[in-house]
Amino acid sequence: MAQITIDGETYEVGDGLTILEALDQLGVLMNEVELPHYCWHPKLSVDGSCRLCQVEIEGVPKLQIACNTPVRDGMVIHTKSERVEQARRGVMELLLLNHPLDCPICDQAGECKLQDYAFDYGVKHARTDLPRRPAKKGFELGPTIVFDQERCILCRRCVRFCREVSQTGELGVFQRGERSLLETFPGAELDNPYSMNVADICPVGALTTKDFRFKVRVWFLDDVPSICNQCGRGCNINASRSNNRVYRFVPRRNDAVNQTWICDHGRMSYKGLTEGRCTEARVGSRRVNYDEAVSTAGDRLRSAIDAKRPIVVVASPFASNEDLFVLQRLIGDLGCEPGTFAIERGDSDALLIRADKCPNAEGARALGFLESDAAVGEAAIALVLGRVAPERLVNVETQVQLVSHEADISVSADVVLPVRSHAEYLGSFTNFERRAQRFSPFLEPCFEAWSFGDALTEIARAAKVLGWEQPFDVIRVSRELAQAVPAFAGLDLESLPAEGAPLR
Amino acid sequence: MQTEPYTKLYLSEHYGNEAFRTLAGYEAAGGFQGLRAALARDPEEVTELVKSSGLRGRGGAGFNAGLKWSFMPKGDERMKVLVCNGDESEPGSFKDRMIMQQGPFQILEGLLIAAWATGARRSYIYIRGEYQYPIQCVRKAVAEMYDKGYLGRDVFGEPGFEHDIVVHSGAGAYICGEETGLLESLEGKKGQPRKKPPFPAQHGAFGLPTTVNNIETFAHVPYILSRGVEWFRGFGTEKSPGTTLFGVSGHVERPGLFELPLGTPLREVIAKAGGVRNNRALKAVIPGGMSMPVLTPSDLDVPMAEEFLSERGTHLGTGGVMVMDDTTCMARVACVISYFFRDESCGQCTQCREGTGWIHKLCERIEAGRGRPRDLELLESVPALMEGHTICAFADAAAWPIKGLLRHFRSDFECHISEGSCPFPESFEL
Ligand SMILES: Cc1cc2nc3c(=O)[nH]c(=O)nc-3n(C[C@H](O)[C@H](O)[C@H](O)COP(=O)(O)O)c2cc1C
Ligand code: SF4
Ligand code: SF4
Ligand code: FES
Repeated sequence: MAQITIDGETYEVGDGLTILEALDQLGVLMNEVELPHYCWHPKLSVDGSCRLCQVEIEGVPKLQIACNTPVRDGMVIHTKSERVEQARRGVMELLLLNHPLDCPICDQAGECKLQDYAFDYGVKHARTDLPRRPAKKGFELGPTIVFDQERCILCRRCVRFCREVSQTGELGVFQRGERSLLETFPGAELDNPYSMNVADICPVGALTTKDFRFKVRVWFLDDVPSICNQCGRGCNINASRSNNRVYRFVPRRNDAVNQTWICDHGRMSYKGLTEGRCTEARVGSRRVNYDEAVSTAGDRLRSAIDAKRPIVVVASPFASNEDLFVLQRLIGDLGCEPGTFAIERGDSDALLIRADKCPNAEGARALGFLESDAAVGEAAIALVLGRVAPERLVNVETQVQLVSHEADISVSADVVLPVRSHAEYLGSFTNFERRAQRFSPFLEPCFEAWSFGDALTEIARAAKVLGWEQPFDVIRVSRELAQAVPAFAGLDLESLPAEGAPLR
Repeated sequence: MQTEPYTKLYLSEHYGNEAFRTLAGYEAAGGFQGLRAALARDPEEVTELVKSSGLRGRGGAGFNAGLKWSFMPKGDERMKVLVCNGDESEPGSFKDRMIMQQGPFQILEGLLIAAWATGARRSYIYIRGEYQYPIQCVRKAVAEMYDKGYLGRDVFGEPGFEHDIVVHSGAGAYICGEETGLLESLEGKKGQPRKKPPFPAQHGAFGLPTTVNNIETFAHVPYILSRGVEWFRGFGTEKSPGTTLFGVSGHVERPGLFELPLGTPLREVIAKAGGVRNNRALKAVIPGGMSMPVLTPSDLDVPMAEEFLSERGTHLGTGGVMVMDDTTCMARVACVISYFFRDESCGQCTQCREGTGWIHKLCERIEAGRGRPRDLELLESVPALMEGHTICAFADAAAWPIKGLLRHFRSDFECHISEGSCPFPESFEL
């Protein structure tokens, strides 16, 4: 350990870190310690070129860049001295020299580090009236990204991302000196499964996604922490929403799961949250209101119980831990066969994308569900969560299906109950490394739909199953889960930290 | 082309003699005695000796060569590398070319001595791509060494002393002369200086421990070993021993190279070059290559050694002395200098990329008579934004000469602004 002093505050930091790394690990960077920086990014190699992060170190004659200077025990650092501020103002002035200052038509406005830092540390008046360097405006670098060359400050974050993270290397800085321009290599397009991350890391409005560009000013958006449900990784995201509409997903940093990235597929999955939803309850081919569908399902379940006929349950790896806990308890109370779930598999890679295309297979396993895509046994009634292959249910008389999307409705479903997507309720998923992670609702459906756990509870109540008198309450259920299942001990929704926690 | 300096001392004694460019001729003239003397000593002793000789790097920064060698890590299993910097791209410098052409074996001997001292297994000689003939000369010398069995294994009969030398041609960028820009270029990458740490001694060429020295620096080394530290210190000053090849250019009667002891007064250097052309009055002298601030006639007595020049706000640099007579328009000089630096900046660092462009645009506008009074203030403050804040010293090199010109010749610039035209009808054309 090394002890360093920054602006009079003393910190214990790990040896071998750079000053910026140490501050980042302490979680004080840009909070307690304001140390503006452009080219440095916690998950990319050090570039050391923007020169904005210069600090004064006692005993060292020249200012040093915090992003490439290793900490030393006893180091005394100043980030607010006149010399530092002067150097910073110099960098800001020079960066703005060739910048178009077209903030009113720039999509980055509101989350632009050039705008922010110029405001906080910059010079207020331009000292030059010289023409700016010519550069291209708004052209496509590939299928997902639009580039405004004029706004680029050449921090090379995007270049390093493509070399080091996506490992596709489409971008480079061409020419040299003040003629330097960021471009794709001749004949190459910026096209890789992670391409849109470059828009997040670009500190200015040079790289924007075609998808989000010009949709909404960011200051109208608020961010709700959630989890991507497109594969077993469970990348942490923020859903940016306004007026009950979601405009984008952006990665939320979690060093144990997705670093600061998400894949393009996951990012675009917000579209599926509102498209093709199952909006109406059904009994047979008849549209009914929700209560009627619930009571029909409850009646059929009651008849099966009374007739002592077999009942089966098909779980879903898209349901939350809490949903699945409720389901598992119902299985116990009904005394039916263990529930099963099936996983759809697809492409995977070494970075984030997992082959299992569902968010909670590990949660289902941890709660005692068995993975299977075999046909279920003969049964009077099947309670089915989510999409199911029709062949699995050939031996079932009555099929009650809880689905969020039209396309998931099985042709043989007798009762259909619309359920909420994970965007619309509170819960947790367990990712492929058995890490429980909480997601929060950021949309409210404009039709009647309940969460899996809620709908299941209401069906059990309608069927008058003993012990199912109380309505569903996710917080209470999560506490019960934490008490009942040792793997989830201490991991109820209120105790689960923002970055999630491994199952016990 | 000059085949020998106009004045010669030990380094260039045999320059111009065709035989000296062959291995046999070099040996006949006493070549490799320095290496033999080195091999008779412990490597550490050789490093100490070079350190105590006070030999300073001739590539511009003037760092003690032996001290630099001592930074090479000891007890490190990795292969160690020497790099000989033959990029010679500082405008006003043309000494390394002469050495490569006339004394290529001096360089190779110096490299072998350094290899013995530092434990380096391989040397790269990086030569600027425009230097096709020097490249040929050095390649030929290396080939002769291999033919004779002087390179490869058991060098000079010293069991276990292995050394290979690779000659690498650059592709023409000033910044590839900066040692880490050179290393990137050598590795086949875009020539952009590296941030430090890590320093080359820890992580240099191809990630290996590396020492970079200038061509001339290596060429002096054999004499220190063969003739001794005392003898070497007999030339030059206390803090800057030895000779150097001053390259005098510009408005003199006899431009060219002159081997003179360091510390020779500027006046004498110019006199050797025949004085200012056409008996005109001297206006300014750049003492060490274009990136160094100018001196004025009042500085003529300054001894040409770093310790004296730095007192006058400038540096010895590469010893490229550029003489300007009274016809010269300093606003034009600023224009030429700023054009060069704007063009050659690698463009990584904000201050250098943007500052060099800004300075040049200002200089251009002032020179063309379109400057505004405020432009002079800017021309003073923009270099201050750049200096000391960047990855490499290029930004300093771009800032210093402009600062120097403004300090000494502000009125030239003011004239352009107030008159709207150039007051020097006979000045060189842009
Ligand atoms: C912009 C720039 C250009 C340089 N160009 C050269 C060059 O062309 N040749 C050279 O030997 N050193 C050059 N140098 C100095 C080298 O970085 C390095 O200090 C030198 O090669 C070390 O050798 P020395 O210690 O023997 O002088 C340059 C430095 C800078 C900052
Ligand atoms: S496009 Fe953005 S991220 Fe890429 S170099 Fe330019 S400013 Fe940096
Ligand atoms: S100072 Fe200039 S030349 Fe040196 S690394 Fe920075 S931008 Fe490149
Ligand atoms: S953040 Fe340190 S130089 Fe850019």
